[in-house]
Amino acid sequence: MIFVIGGVFEGKKQFAEKQFSLLDDEILDGEKCDFEAVFSAKCVNNCHNLIKRLINNKIDPIEFTREIILRNSGLILIMDEIGCGIIPIERDDREYRELVGKCGCIIAEKSEAVIRIFCGIPNVIKGEI
Amino acid sequence: MMALVTGGSKCGKSSFAESLFDNYNGAKFYVATMLPNDPESLKQIEIHRKNRMGKGFETIEKFTDIDEINVRRCGILLECLGNLLANEIFSGNKINDPVDKIMRGIDKLKSNSDLFVIVSNDVARDGILYDDTTEKYIRYLVDLNSKIAKLSDIFVECVYGIPIIGGKNFENSELAGFGIFDVFANPDAKG
Repeated sequence: MIFVIGGVFEGKKQFAEKQFSLLDDEILDGEKCDFEAVFSAKCVNNCHNLIKRLINNKIDPIEFTREIILRNSGLILIMDEIGCGIIPIERDDREYRELVGKCGCIIAEKSEAVIRIFCGIPNVIKGEI
Repeated sequence: MMALVTGGSKCGKSSFAESLFDNYNGAKFYVATMLPNDPESLKQIEIHRKNRMGKGFETIEKFTDIDEINVRRCGILLECLGNLLANEIFSGNKINDPVDKIMRGIDKLKSNSDLFVIVSNDVARDGILYDDTTEKYIRYLVDLNSKIAKLSDIFVECVYGIPIIGGKNFENSELAGFGIFDVFANPDAKG
């Protein structure tokens, strides 16, 4: 797996498109895609939104992440870093933030490469691309 | 030797900070700053306790006034600065400058220990505007992080479990002897 991360609006999707020669229709949007489609996709963007939708649908995102690792180990995942900042007041927001962190650690651990876009500049923080 | 470990929520910073003590043979103290005053905090405390079980830390609960801790020639893991600052500000005690007060404690613990690791939080990068009190808290914490990073031999930002290491002395840091570069060279090894 390849994991592309960074803050919002950093150009993560554009980076992935260019770096891994992805076509637009090869990139699923975690905000609206079918859950099952993730297991056969080439790339999933907005994985933090996917996690939010899984929570809303009472599906355990950690179990789902482990299933991705088993069934689609070549997947390119793009996810926002959302864990920095003040701890949210609402319990659901805290839970969402923590689950994104936990899933992120699992994905990063299993990825051959992790690329972090910071100030628009890609940094390979694990492995090689 | 001193290290600052920071990062967002559930980024693996605690396990990383603990791993810096793997090869440290002296007495190890864990300064716990989280107030056990609600079910969620209690749960967090339990998780942290479990994670460091068997790693040889003696826990010192200190929610404010870390300058009152009297230990010598030892390893100290302070977790975490964000809670300590919140406790200092919201404890009801009248203090003029919480940053100053905390830094006095940090200076003391630094000179009294061989290995001092501080876990902090990254709170300044969510792009949200908060009320005055919260903004003040953020400003204090950023100020503390910068001051401590300056004092530290290395600072580490954990990103989804991956440590990103920087700092003035990190290339020839004695921390190399504590196994930090093994961790850095092979993040997989730490899970």
